[in-house]
Amino acid sequence: MPLDYPIHEKTLPNGLRVVVSPDTSVPNVTVNLWVNVGSRHEAPGRTGFAHLFEHLMFQGSRNVASGEHFTRLMAEGGRLNATTWFDRTNYFETVPKGAYELALWMEADRHGYLLDAVNQANLDNQRDVVKEEKRQRYDNVPYGNALIDTYATVFPADHPYHHPTIGSMEDLDAASLEDVHAFFRRYYGPNNTVLTLVGDLTPEEGFAAAERYFGELPASAEPRRANHDQLEPITSPVRFERHDKVPNDRLHLAFRLPVDNTDDYFAASLALDAIGGLTTSRLVQRLVRREQVANAAQAHSMGFVDGVSLGFVILDIADGQDPDVVEARACEELERFAKEGPTDVEMESALAQAERSWLHSLASQEERADAISQHTLLHDDPQFINTYLDRLNAVTAGQVQAVAQQWLQPQNRAVVAHLVATEEEVA
Amino acid sequence: MSARPEVVPPQPWAFPEPERHTLSNGIELLAYDIPGQYVISVRTVLPMSLSVEPREKEGVAALTARLLDEGTARHTSEEFAQLLERKGIALGAGINDSGLGVDLDVPKRRLGEALDLLQQALGEPVFPEAEVTRHVKTRLAEIEQERAMAPHRAAREFIATFFDGAERASRPSAGTHETVSSLTREDFVEFHRRFVGPQGMTVVVAGDLSGVDVRAVADEVLGQWRAEGQEVVTPNAEPPVRAADAARIVLVDRPGSVQSELSVGCAGPDRRAEGGWAAYPVLSFVVGGSPNARVDAVLREEKGFTYGIRSTFRPRRRGGLFLTNGSVRADSTVESVKLLLEILESGREGFSADEVRAGIDYISKTAPGRYATADAVADEAATMALDGMSTDFTTETLLAMQSLDGDALAEAYRRWVDGTWTVVVVGDASLYADQLEELGRGAVTVVPN
Repeated sequence: MPLDYPIHEKTLPNGLRVVVSPDTSVPNVTVNLWVNVGSRHEAPGRTGFAHLFEHLMFQGSRNVASGEHFTRLMAEGGRLNATTWFDRTNYFETVPKGAYELALWMEADRHGYLLDAVNQANLDNQRDVVKEEKRQRYDNVPYGNALIDTYATVFPADHPYHHPTIGSMEDLDAASLEDVHAFFRRYYGPNNTVLTLVGDLTPEEGFAAAERYFGELPASAEPRRANHDQLEPITSPVRFERHDKVPNDRLHLAFRLPVDNTDDYFAASLALDAIGGLTTSRLVQRLVRREQVANAAQAHSMGFVDGVSLGFVILDIADGQDPDVVEARACEELERFAKEGPTDVEMESALAQAERSWLHSLASQEERADAISQHTLLHDDPQFINTYLDRLNAVTAGQVQAVAQQWLQPQNRAVVAHLVATEEEVA
Repeated sequence: MSARPEVVPPQPWAFPEPERHTLSNGIELLAYDIPGQYVISVRTVLPMSLSVEPREKEGVAALTARLLDEGTARHTSEEFAQLLERKGIALGAGINDSGLGVDLDVPKRRLGEALDLLQQALGEPVFPEAEVTRHVKTRLAEIEQERAMAPHRAAREFIATFFDGAERASRPSAGTHETVSSLTREDFVEFHRRFVGPQGMTVVVAGDLSGVDVRAVADEVLGQWRAEGQEVVTPNAEPPVRAADAARIVLVDRPGSVQSELSVGCAGPDRRAEGGWAAYPVLSFVVGGSPNARVDAVLREEKGFTYGIRSTFRPRRRGGLFLTNGSVRADSTVESVKLLLEILESGREGFSADEVRAGIDYISKTAPGRYATADAVADEAATMALDGMSTDFTTETLLAMQSLDGDALAEAYRRWVDGTWTVVVVGDASLYADQLEELGRGAVTVVPN
């Protein structure tokens, strides 16, 4: 089924790319902004800064009081937030149609005039909040550091994806007001931003409102640097072990992958589905269902733009089983997949699940707007939401096998093992 | 900058109206046609009470739900999984204190095939020995995972402390290590035979239904299902009894924790509560529903003790809870508990006009967006059906909210919040037990993790 969500696009003189996708099914408008800055842009000694900065965007700007962005828009029936990731930072709200110009005005105020309001007290408070976020999500959670260890093990030390978006406590402590000013001047500005509007409005209304509120902002951001060149796969296995108070052993087998929005990346994501992502995947069938040496097996792919993407398999080792043995069996399955390629049923299943999952994510205005901003900002492809499934369906079993041979063999793996600590280790 | 734009208020909104049909075997069908929603969401619900489980077999209901698609009369577990996956179907099943739910999402063109498989899962599971063994082991591992996660550990201790020990509600709905270990294939066969059938069941279908004769499609498979001897379970008529010593502090000891997980609560209303339900979603928002609600305005935005704490009135089929949950920096534990209880009790003094307006507007004006997608509509309809209600209740609640004022909110709050709390802290007992005792908020008991 070809998708035909309407896409209208315009770039303002100051460089702001605006995409409008009318949808009158709900009397709402989603305002979604992507700024081309994420943890991949962070300087050494300042990890976690892009995310800390995002928190400060809610602490007031020239004409908006601290906290008012949340309180005012929620009181108008808005649902809103912001997130930071390796590649970018996004800001979004879905509001009743009659409030979308207020939302745009407030966004323009903070994206243009944040520095008028930033102060040491706000920085110190949000630094504390972010440190609690880190403790809640990573430090006080079993296996909470698994992905952080994975990034550090699979990517080289000087690579943009080597460190996590949450950063380190030391670097968060070191962040200063001067850093906030410099970061804003360097990365924030309409010429480094995409604005997507989805909902009950016409393209003309959307473009006029974007011009009305964002038109006066200068093209202040520095030019983007070029993305890094494609990283090659790891050629012999690397390993990192952490002995911890965890209920059972857990392995992450991680792989470098081709960059996002390429046929090779799509093929790699289908390969990982067949290997470990589907409920009928090879690893689930063998290790979880038949041999019952793992409680669970999963596989995921994360698409990035800066020279590499990430794929990984997670194996939850069953009580009393040897993690080395389970890992060896998983490696047998990787080898077999590279040798045989996917079966017809695996291709059919992976594509069918990808279709439902994609249609499900496009079902909400919020996620549709986010996907449009993502592919406009990072891939210059506003039509992506309509073309993705056709592109995925065009990937052949031969391509999936070729990608698996190049990127997903046992020798390409980085293993992060979180193992149950012995009594001595805990003490 | 240009002048701050004025806001044009939205039009009133009502929850979508379903088509209602009764299938040949008595299943109630609710069909919500939502143009443009290409993934169809199907929710099957069967009201039930977990108190039908024998005490020593607790968890049998939850594991019955998980085993429904692990082997049927016509297909092995692996074949069934493959049939679902090749058609792009996501199927999940679970149970809570209101009943059994089986959920399914599928692209529109596969709806008929999906309902056929759904019927097989509901009506023809055979509980193969190997799958039973595997799921019992998986649940036992899951119990250990839950023990390791602070929010789960806090929730388990909260119900054990708050509810009387004779109540099913005081123990995990999916069973404990002891009860789950004792489950055998026969237990599942028996539970399914006695309690799972079309009587009392509601099926919700939501999505773009243009060109689909939902009634015919559903009747062809689900409507033909018969279950001889199904026992219909009447929901409990009374709320579970609160423990006589519920008003106290329990510290789950985790030496070295960098945060303390807090779970604070008291009894709350269900949807049929005297005085109406409409005040409670508003109160949840005003007290602890956003970064600038009363709790986080102090504990997050002023003190920086937490990433965020949320309060919510959580209705059960009968009775309910008013719960506040979140984690705080370890060395702020005592001050956080003290401040949190003071903030929660401050609502008894009333709410400002701004708080009242913001709370009502947030809940009512976000409704069109919160219920815009097929899965959200289907989930709400399923929740209502499990509670013996319809989504008319959703619309009526939004309408009733409009006439609430500060006095009504304060009265509704005081009806439940009387200053006696069950407090669970998952954190380092050696550092905080004595100081928590000194707060004078009840005896402190330390339990192992």
